[in-house]
Amino acid sequence: MRWRVVKAVARQCFLEFWRSPQAVFWTYGFPIMMAVVLGFAFQSGQAEPVTIGVVDNKVTRANLAKLEDEPLLVVDWLSPADADRALGRGRVALTVRWSARDDREVLRSDPSRPEAMLARLLVERRLRQASGGEVAYVPPAHEVEDRPGSRYIDFLIPGLIGLNLLGAGMWGVGFNLVQMRVGNLLRRIFVTPMKRSEFLAGYLLGRSVLVIPEAFVIMAFGVLLWGVPFRGSLLAALTLIVVGGWVFTAIGCLLACRARTTETIGGLMNAVQLPMWILGGTFFANEGLEGPMRWAAEVMPLTHVNRALRDVMLEPGTLLDVWVPVVALAVTGVACFSLAMRLFRWQ
Amino acid sequence: MNQAPAIELRALRKTYKKGRELVHAVNGLDLVVGRGEVFGLLGPNGAGKTTTVEICEGLTAPDAGEVRILGKEWGTGADDDIRARIGVCLQETKFQEHATVEEVLKLFRSCFDDGRTVDDALALVSLQEKRSARQKSLSGGQRQRLAVATALLGDPKLLFLDEPTTGLDPQSRRQLWQVVRDYQSQGGTVLLTTHYMDEAHQLCDRVAIVDRGEVIALGSPAELIRSLGAQHFVVVDLVDADAAPDDASFLSISDVSAVERRDARVECTVASVHTALPAVLEMLERRGVEIDGLSTRHATLEDVFVHLTGRHLREGGAA
Repeated sequence: MRWRVVKAVARQCFLEFWRSPQAVFWTYGFPIMMAVVLGFAFQSGQAEPVTIGVVDNKVTRANLAKLEDEPLLVVDWLSPADADRALGRGRVALTVRWSARDDREVLRSDPSRPEAMLARLLVERRLRQASGGEVAYVPPAHEVEDRPGSRYIDFLIPGLIGLNLLGAGMWGVGFNLVQMRVGNLLRRIFVTPMKRSEFLAGYLLGRSVLVIPEAFVIMAFGVLLWGVPFRGSLLAALTLIVVGGWVFTAIGCLLACRARTTETIGGLMNAVQLPMWILGGTFFANEGLEGPMRWAAEVMPLTHVNRALRDVMLEPGTLLDVWVPVVALAVTGVACFSLAMRLFRWQ
Repeated sequence: MNQAPAIELRALRKTYKKGRELVHAVNGLDLVVGRGEVFGLLGPNGAGKTTTVEICEGLTAPDAGEVRILGKEWGTGADDDIRARIGVCLQETKFQEHATVEEVLKLFRSCFDDGRTVDDALALVSLQEKRSARQKSLSGGQRQRLAVATALLGDPKLLFLDEPTTGLDPQSRRQLWQVVRDYQSQGGTVLLTTHYMDEAHQLCDRVAIVDRGEVIALGSPAELIRSLGAQHFVVVDLVDADAAPDDASFLSISDVSAVERRDARVECTVASVHTALPAVLEMLERRGVEIDGLSTRHATLEDVFVHLTGRHLREGGAA
C-alpha cells in the first residue's frame, strides 16, 4: 500500500465533505439541533400530568369529581363512545366508568403502555384516600434528581455522540461509494494502478478524520450548554471516538461494497441503522432489555460505543477502564474492512 | 528491437445474458493496432465497440480469445504494469462534484509512480485557466478534456477514448481532436470509438467498422471509401417527386452505378462527376423534369458504413 495514494484519496474525501453544505449540516447542525430539542424536552423538573377519560353521568359526577383534586391527573369527562375512541387513539391513558351491576368503578387501559400503569395507580390511590382507607398514610418527601451526571440530558449526550458516529460513518462512506460507482468514477479509478486497499484505506481515513471534530462539537455543546460533566480521560474519549468512527465507516464500506444503486444502499443502511437507533442505548438504557432483544443489543457496536462513552464522560473512566470495548470495536472494524476488501467491486 | 503491437485481439468473444436471451456482444473479433497509430472503432449502438474497448482496458473479461495490450496479457500478473502504461477515458465519468480541476488531476496523478506533472497535463488539454474551477462550473467540453487529462497523467503509451466527443459542440470537438493529434505526434497510440464518421476521417490512420460484434471492414478511411468503387455523388432535388424518372433511366447513364431516393431527392453514385453530371441533366431535360436544386459531394465513411451495414450486405452474408 502506497501512503501517498492513501493520503491523496483521504484528502479528497475530506475536502469533498467540507465543501458540501448539506453534508456539513446533517453531520454538525442536525445532531446539535437534536441535542437542543431533546435537552429542553427532558429537562429535570415536575413530572408531566397524565390524562384520563371518565364516562360522564350523574353517578360518576358525584363519586369521581375528587379525581380532579389529584395534581398529576387531567380528567376528561366523555360520553361512553368518546371515551372508547380516546383510549383507542391514545389521547387518554385510561378510562373510568361506573358499573351499576357491580356497584363500583371499572378502570380500562392497555397495561403495555407505561402511562397507563401510572394513571391506574394514581386513580386507585385517590379513590382509596377518598374512602378513608389511607388514614395513617403519610406520603414520603420527594427530591428532584437534577445533579449533573444523573440527568437524562447527561445520559443522552454520549448517546448522541455515538449516534452521530454511526450516521456520519456509515452514510458518509457507504452512500458516497455507491454514488461514485453509479457515476463511473470507481470504474475510472479501477483502470489506473490504484489498488483497492489504497482506495478504501484512503476513503476510510478521510472519513475517520472527519468524525473526530464532529464528535467533539457535540461533546463541547453538551458540556457548555447543558453542563454535562466530563469526568474521565480525554485520551480515552478520543480513542473511543476514533475507534467508533472506524467501526461504523468500515460497516458502511462493507454495505456499499457491491450495491449498484443509491436506493439499494439507502435500504441496506436503514436496515442496519434502525435496529441500532432503537436498541443501541442512545435514548434509553438497554441493560433493562431481556431475551433476544438484549442479545441483539449486546452485539450492536453502538451499544458498546455509547456505554464506553458514558463511562468516560459521566464517570472517571480511563483507557484502562474501557480497553475491552475499544479492542472489541477495533477488531470488528478490521473484520468488516477485510471483508469489504474481499467483496468490493469497482463496477 | 521489435516492439509488440499496441493491441492484439484474436478470436475475441463476449456474450451477455439479457433477460432469457444471449447477446453476442463480441463475436470472434480479430484486430491488431500498431504502435503510433490512431485507430478508430466505428459502428452503431450495440455493435460491440464499447465491450471490445472494455476488454482491452481490463474492465471486462472475455469469454474466449486472446488479448495482448502492449505485449502483455490481463490476469497473468501484469495487470498493474499494463494499467501504469495505458490511459483511459470512459464514455462518461462523474468526478467528485466539489473537487477542482487541479485536485482531480492530483488524485489521479498519485496513482502513478512516473508520469507527467499536473501542470503538463493541464497544458496538454488547455485547461490552465480552469485549474481552480470545480466540476459543476465546467462546460461539457471542459469536463471531457479533464477526463482526457486524467488519462494522460501517467504518460501512457496507449490511450483509450470511448466516444470522447459525444454531445460536445463543434469547437470543443476540434479542441479534443487537437489533443489527440498532439498526443500522437509524441509517439502515442490511440484506440478511439466514435459515432461520428467525420471524426474518424479527421483523426484516424485506420478504422475498423464493427457490426454485430465482428469487424466487417478494415483499412484507412481513404481505402475504405475507395472500396465503394465510386467516390462521388450527384444529388438532384426535383420540384415534383411524382415526376421523377425511374431508377433504370438513371442507371442507363454509364457513369451512374447506384441510385437512392428520399422524397423528391435522388442521389446518384457516380465514378466521375464531370462526365456524369451533364448526362444526368440532359436526361432530365429530355424528359421535361423540373429541377429544384443540384449538388455534388465526395463519398465519406458514412457512405461506407451505410453500404456495409445495409440490408443487401447482410442478406448476401458478405460480412
